[in-house]
Amino acid sequence: MLLRTEKICKYFGGLKAVDDVDFVLKKGQLKSIIGPNGAGKTTLFNLIAGAYLPTKGKVFLKDKDISRFTLNKVSRLGVVKTYQINHIFPNLTVFENIRIAAQVRKTSFNIWRQAASYREINELAEEILLQVELAEKRNQPASTLSHGERRYLEIGIALATQPEVLLLDEPTAGMSCAETNQCADMIKNLNRNLGLSIVLVEHDMSVVMSISEEILVMNEGRTLAEGTPREVSDNEEVQRVYLG
Amino acid sequence: MSEIPWNVIAMQLFFGIALGCIFVLLSSGMSIIYGLLDVVNFAHGTFAMLGAYAVFVVVSLSDSFFVGIVSAVVIVGIIGMVIEFLLLKPLYGKDPLLPLLLTFGLSVAIPDFMKIVFGLIGKPISFPDALSGAITLGPLTLPGYRLFIIIFTLVVMISLWLFLKKSDLGMIIRASTRDSQMVQTLGINVSRIWTVGFGMGVGLAALAGAIAAPMMSATPDMGVDMTMTAFVVTVVGGLGSLGGAIVGGLFIGLVVAFTSYVASAYSSVAMYFCMAVILLVRPRGLFGEQGRE
Amino acid sequence: MVDDRTSTIKLPNLHSPPKPVIVYGTFIVLLFLPLIISTPLATEILIWTIFGLGFNLLLGYTGVLSFGHAAYFGLGAYAAGLAFRYLDASVPVGIIMGILAAMLLACIIGALAIRSKGVYFAMISLAFGQMLYFLALSPLKGITGGEDGLTRIPSLDFLSFSLGKPLPLYYFVCIITGIMLFVTWRILQSPFGKLLQAFRENEERAKACGYNTTLVKYCSLVISAFYAGLAGALNTVYLSYVPLSTLFWLTSGTMVMMTILGGKGTFLGPLLGVGVFLFLQNTISLFTPRWELFVGAIFVVIILVFPGGIMGTLTEKFAAFRMRRQGE
Repeated sequence: MLLRTEKICKYFGGLKAVDDVDFVLKKGQLKSIIGPNGAGKTTLFNLIAGAYLPTKGKVFLKDKDISRFTLNKVSRLGVVKTYQINHIFPNLTVFENIRIAAQVRKTSFNIWRQAASYREINELAEEILLQVELAEKRNQPASTLSHGERRYLEIGIALATQPEVLLLDEPTAGMSCAETNQCADMIKNLNRNLGLSIVLVEHDMSVVMSISEEILVMNEGRTLAEGTPREVSDNEEVQRVYLG
Repeated sequence: MSEIPWNVIAMQLFFGIALGCIFVLLSSGMSIIYGLLDVVNFAHGTFAMLGAYAVFVVVSLSDSFFVGIVSAVVIVGIIGMVIEFLLLKPLYGKDPLLPLLLTFGLSVAIPDFMKIVFGLIGKPISFPDALSGAITLGPLTLPGYRLFIIIFTLVVMISLWLFLKKSDLGMIIRASTRDSQMVQTLGINVSRIWTVGFGMGVGLAALAGAIAAPMMSATPDMGVDMTMTAFVVTVVGGLGSLGGAIVGGLFIGLVVAFTSYVASAYSSVAMYFCMAVILLVRPRGLFGEQGRE
Repeated sequence: MVDDRTSTIKLPNLHSPPKPVIVYGTFIVLLFLPLIISTPLATEILIWTIFGLGFNLLLGYTGVLSFGHAAYFGLGAYAAGLAFRYLDASVPVGIIMGILAAMLLACIIGALAIRSKGVYFAMISLAFGQMLYFLALSPLKGITGGEDGLTRIPSLDFLSFSLGKPLPLYYFVCIITGIMLFVTWRILQSPFGKLLQAFRENEERAKACGYNTTLVKYCSLVISAFYAGLAGALNTVYLSYVPLSTLFWLTSGTMVMMTILGGKGTFLGPLLGVGVFLFLQNTISLFTPRWELFVGAIFVVIILVFPGGIMGTLTEKFAAFRMRRQGE
């Protein structure tokens, strides 16, 4: 068991955004969280990533309690999130966007050695540029990318920190149909070929059903159902929430 | 402290509250502007200075202090609305530091302009006759003008509160403070509300400058100190909170009054020191909202 | 939200690091500056440039606006002045004292204020700056000389050159400026320098990448105070006197105006901004003592029309020109 939450809760005033959720991710697994709007998916996500402090309950990474860790500490431990709305470094070049994330495990506060002279970091950044198919645009400012390309860069930045668990928050949001399929393929490849464990929050059901190994369905902050795509789509409760 | 007789303490308390009232007017204007427009008005004290000069001009023309106060608020309010309309509007939605920098530029330029028009030397403004005396209350002799400041501020703040709570425009202003986009969707011209709000905020600053003027006379450079005080009060009370401006203003007024009695050399330093302590204990200020720090 | 603002094509070369030839070329130009303008003005430009290099690191590259940098500049000036006057310190020792004092102050103020963001940080830093000003004005009058400033600083020598004479002093400051230009250039291309820019672009994301962003901001402030302290100490050497106005808020404000004027976040912006500002100030003062009115008004216009400053606007025009050429 790689990542696990134990009866985790997050209340915003009277609103129970996440209420008593047990979430388990095994190593190498691709697991999706789905649910209607306001079900608490993104909140759960932010609790795991360390962006929010839980009201109650715990988060464990390999049996280590990380519930009280801040975003940057959790990220260093290898659990990295992407953002639903693009969070890139707009005025830096595409390469620099990736490179800055790639240097996190090597160096942060060296003020003298030239960044360009770190060979491993540069190689890692180049490799990731290829993975997210942005190598041709490497010297453009990130602000000049198209929406779809920014979504890729978003994933690339997260990848460059060399995570163990990748938390993807609606990676295909706003993409066209063709782009969505391409993106789904890329996510699948990251999981199958690189062995990355991935948690996916996604609206597009076809993507979720085709690439996830397991699915957690949330509704009103609680777990509604859990299981393989098959089991979930056969579940009556789930059908009621989605169709009724 | 035990050697200080109680009536001296009471007097300092009284002076402190009177001073604090000026700070309350000043900072509540700043809070309204920040709450509504997300603009930290660096020229806030400069508008207070303009208010003091407006009183000087109007009093020398009309010979009535009260006409002076009212026209100071109106004149400076209109100047503020023009500045908001012409200079600040183009900056909304861009880098949030730009409005601060722009008002900073104004606070450099405007005092020099006033020096050219009115000269370097301050303009004294005499107390209105009706308020120049003192009122004896038991063993205490309270200067009438300071008593007037306290009562006047109380009246202004209560009317401000009633205005924001009860009137239609006040309601719109409060709603825009929370969520201006939502108000926009309701078909209200929020842009005009911002202009009015800015005018109100600097109008309050002008009011503070106007009623402070008889005690310190109007000088071109008085604005900076008032801006600084407004900043300190705002940091102590919490950015964008009217309650914070009131409590923070009174608190800082008392601090200044007591330190100038106990250790006058430290009177200017004391309020900054208080701010540092508050920051250490409660970084978002006494009434600040979470996440606004 | 960030995207909407920046979706217009921005200039790739604005934020890319300068080529080494620019750094060396600038230094060589500075060597000949006294031939063009009066030596004291040239010296003053260099001192403010050093101050500006550090300030730009904080405002332009880290995106943090401090309105209280006079505190670091002034404390550096006073610490050096006190060391010269009372301890009979040599020039390097006095300067180091100035730098250390400024950095120490930045450590303290930073610890109190660093968690506050944006305009809030600007207000708080300004208030702390004023606190120092009023401390020097009255409670610490015995040490600082109060309103009269710190006087009776002995004339100083360095390696048997008298720094009381304009030209040796100019070249002394010029060499230090050259070193600081080079150091700044190194910092900007170091992993830390890149991190500063990432912080400016998107603090939240830098944090999600695993960086302790609060510490990044703190270090940036302290490094910036290093420059301010150095400039303050050099100012003491230059004037043989520490005016109280070094601590005044207008000193911070002047620095802000210079940096914005030259172009924040550009390598040569501070130098240009300082040069143009001091030139304007000196020229306008010939006609009227009310130079602040004009400088303030010019600043307002710049904020409204050219928020990129001189360097930013030039680079933009240049990029547009090149794109048109390519289009033809």
